[in-house]
Parts: sequence; structure tokens; C-alpha cells
Amino acid sequence: MLDIALSSVLIAVAIILSTVLQMGLRKSLLIGMVRSFVQLIAVGYIIHFIFQLEGIVYQILLLVAMSVVASFTAHRQVGGIRGVFIITWVSIIAGSILTLGFLIAFGVIDTTPRYFIPFGGMIIGNTMNSIIIALERLISQTRDRRHIVESALSLGASPRRAIHHLLKSAVRASLIPRINMLKIAGIIQLPGAFMGMLIAGASPIEAAKLQIIVMYMIVGCVSISIMVLSFLMPRFLFNKNEQLVFTEEKNILKL
Amino acid sequence: MVFAFKDVSKNRGEKTVLRGVSFETPESGVFMIVGPSGSGKSTLLRLFNRLDEPDRGTILYRGRDIRSINPRRLRREVGIVFQTPAPLPGTVEENIGFGPKQLGNDVDVAGLLRQVGLSVDFAGVMADELSVGEAQRMMIARALALRPSVLLLDEPTSALDPASVRAIETLVHNLVRKDEILIVFVSHLTEQVRRIGGEGILIDSGRVIYRDGADKLADMLERIGG
Ligand SMILES: Nc1ncnc2c1ncn2[C@@H]1O[C@H](COP(=O)(O)OP(=O)(O)OP(=O)(O)O)[C@@H](O)[C@H]1O
Ligand SMILES: [Mg+2]
Repeated sequence: MLDIALSSVLIAVAIILSTVLQMGLRKSLLIGMVRSFVQLIAVGYIIHFIFQLEGIVYQILLLVAMSVVASFTAHRQVGGIRGVFIITWVSIIAGSILTLGFLIAFGVIDTTPRYFIPFGGMIIGNTMNSIIIALERLISQTRDRRHIVESALSLGASPRRAIHHLLKSAVRASLIPRINMLKIAGIIQLPGAFMGMLIAGASPIEAAKLQIIVMYMIVGCVSISIMVLSFLMPRFLFNKNEQLVFTEEKNILKL
Repeated sequence: MVFAFKDVSKNRGEKTVLRGVSFETPESGVFMIVGPSGSGKSTLLRLFNRLDEPDRGTILYRGRDIRSINPRRLRREVGIVFQTPAPLPGTVEENIGFGPKQLGNDVDVAGLLRQVGLSVDFAGVMADELSVGEAQRMMIARALALRPSVLLLDEPTSALDPASVRAIETLVHNLVRKDEILIVFVSHLTEQVRRIGGEGILIDSGRVIYRDGADKLADMLERIGG
């Protein structure tokens, strides 16, 4: 606890600097400091509790809960079209089951909580971020280029065909940062899993191996989820009469 | 008649944009939809090829309720060109071939370019590099590639310079002279309405207030200050 109190001095310095320099960040910094404290301690206790429970069922339940929260976050952030929640959730679940299932089936990772929960959390969080990028891009582009999509429909194209080039650019926009992450891995900064392993006392070689698995897993899951997403999207952007639909404004709570 | 609208209403958000619109179009030739800015012309045109659904009323295409027709089939027979060009990614040739390609058909790109007054050399040019006037002509060629029986033109010349305006107007005249095609032409310009000719309707605040020949429509449009 003393360690935490001491490290909070660093944020206090940032708050003082922000106040003196009138950056208008004092409140945000304070809220951020308190929230990160509360959230991380709470998560620590929850995971501690889960680790005590026998059986993979509880771990799976925890991951399902995480995927629901992630989908709701995407829904709240993107809004504007119906079905964001369900599309996101199905995409995340598809990606997670395939990647985690594969790695577990071949014994790359095992189902003890100390692997399963962090790996699951990492892929769900990363996939959610990529999905939000893809959705925001797709929705804003479809709004801006509505007449191009409708002119393709008017030439007898299917909704999927009419939206194809926008889907493609949204998929690329969300995956390119992931691919760049692979390319610069270890050069610009040491990634989280690597550092965690080092701090926990593992050899650098072991840490590197685990980091590689983590990255491949994240990129694999993100890619699968984004492909599933792009497959599902046309159903939600068009109605059964093959007309482009948007709800008129953001309707946050309407799932 | 090709199209019959019966008591059609359409809301946009909270606003009623079309109110009880009824009219019939001729078999072929030009049908003008004339009205001041914001009167509901574009909203009306989008109902012809079912880009939108009316909130009330019925639309018949060749005697059939358009709700009973597969939207893709309807759209292939009823082409549309919007106010501003909407090129798809790719070359002029790819744009013109887009519609027929959905059916696995080939298309006479050179013939279509000639028909709309563009040089055949444009075929390989990227569509987004065309001038607005050239692009709008490509849009018409692209719609004609499906050999539609109806062509909807929503103020197709509004973004163009005078020379390109004349070229498109001449093209409209040539099309209706040569082919069995109905052109539904939307305009809010009295002079253009007179030049294009034909018959049609005048709409104001979403209501059909007049049906007549183009010259009379232009006179009325002038009077209500369009
Ligand atoms: N998405 C929308 N939400 C609310 N109102 C809209 C929407 N789209 C159009 N309108 C309104 O509907 C009315 C008719 O619009 P429309 O575009 O059909 O007019 P128009 O006759 O084509 O005008 P113009 O000659 O300027 O193109 C206008 O008053 C417009 O403000
Ligand atoms: Mg208009």
C-alpha cells in the first residue's frame, strides 16, 4: 500500500504541473488516478477469487462477461446503427473460441486460470479496440459516401457488393495497426507480456517466446473477428428491401 | 403508363416531405418533375427505384405494385443518375461495366462512351480523375449500360458548366428520339424545363400543384418563384 501511495506522488506532480501551466487536465488526471486504482484493485480481487474456484466453467463465465462488457462498450462508442452490440459480440466470441480453442487443443497454453484469464482478457480487449476502429470507419464512410453506395445499388448490385469497397477499407484500417505492431515488436518498446515475464523472473528468452505467442494470438483473433464482422455488417446496414438504413441519430440504449 | 403514384406520402425525420402525391407517367419520352429547391423532388425520385420506401400510398410499375418486385430487378430496369457524380473506385470502363457485370454480361463500352459524347480514350482513365462534366456523362453511360426502360435524372446538370449542360440536354433529346425509353427529368430551372420539353408535374412543399406541358410548368414555376 505504501508503494502505491508513493507512486501516486508522480500523478500528483502531473496534477500540479497541469494546474500551474493551466492545461485544464487536473480533473481528468484525478479521475483517471482514482478510477485506475479502484478498477485494478477490484479486478485483482475478482481474479484472485476466480483463481480459487475449481473448474473451467467459472473462467469461461468470466470471459463471456468480459466479451459482453466489450460489446457494450463498442455499442456505446459507435451507436448510430442497430445491431452493433450483437455484431460485436458474435465477432469477438467467434475469434476467441477459434484462437483460444486452437492453442488449448494443441497444448500451447493450458486451461489453468493463470494462463486462460490473461490470454482471454488480452484478446478480448484488443479485438474490441479493432472492432471499434472498423465500425467507426465503416459507418462514417457509409454516411459520407451514401450516394456512391446507393448508386451501386441502383445498378442492381447486392448490398454486399455495393458496400464492398467500404468494408475493405474499414477492415484494412483496423488491421494495419496490428500488422505494424508485429513489424516493430521489440524495437520501439518492450510489450507488456514480455516485461511482465521479466519482472516475474523469467529468462529473457522465455519472455520473448511467450510474447510471440501472445502477439500471434492477438493478431489471429483480431483478424478472425474482423472478418466475421465484415461478413455480418451488410445485414445491419441495409433492410430487407435492400435500402441503406441508418437510425436517424445515436440511440445509445436501444440494443 | 409506366409508373403510377397513388396518394404517396413520405416523412423525413419529423417532417412530412411528400403529401398525397398522385400522378402517372407516359410510356416513353420525357416526364418532368419541376419544383423549387426543397420541394421534395429528390425524395420523390428515390421512390421510383425503391431506394426509399413511401410511408403511405402505392406505386405501380407497369401495373404491378413495386413492393412485389425484387428491388434488384426493378433497379436494373429503372436507372438513376444523381445530382453529383458518384463514381465507383476503378476506371471508366469498370464503372460502365459494373451493372452488366453483376449479371455476368459484357458491355459495349466504346459504343456507350460515344453515345454520351465522350472519347473512347477515356475507357482506361480512373473515374475519379474525370472533370465533373465528364464524370456526369460517364454516370449516364453507366446507367444506360443496363439498357433500362426508365432513366431517372435528378438535376443532372446542376454541377456543370454551360457547355456540359447543353451536351447533357442534347443527349436526353437523342435518347428519347431513338429509344423506347422514359426519362424522368428533375429540374428547378425554368429555362431548362423549357429546353427539355415534354410533360410533367410541378411540386411545391411536397404536393403536386400542377400537371401540364413543360412550357406551362416553367411559367408556373416562375410564378411561384422557383
Ligand atoms: N434526412 C432528412 N431529414 C430531414 N429532412 C430532410 C432529409 N432529407 C431531406 N429533408 C428535407 O426534405 C425536403 C425535401 O428535400 P428534397 O431533397 O427532396 O428536395 P429537392 O426538391 O430535391 O430540393 P433541391 O432542388 O434543393 O435538390 C427538404 O425540406 C429537406 O430539408
Ligand atoms: Mg434534390
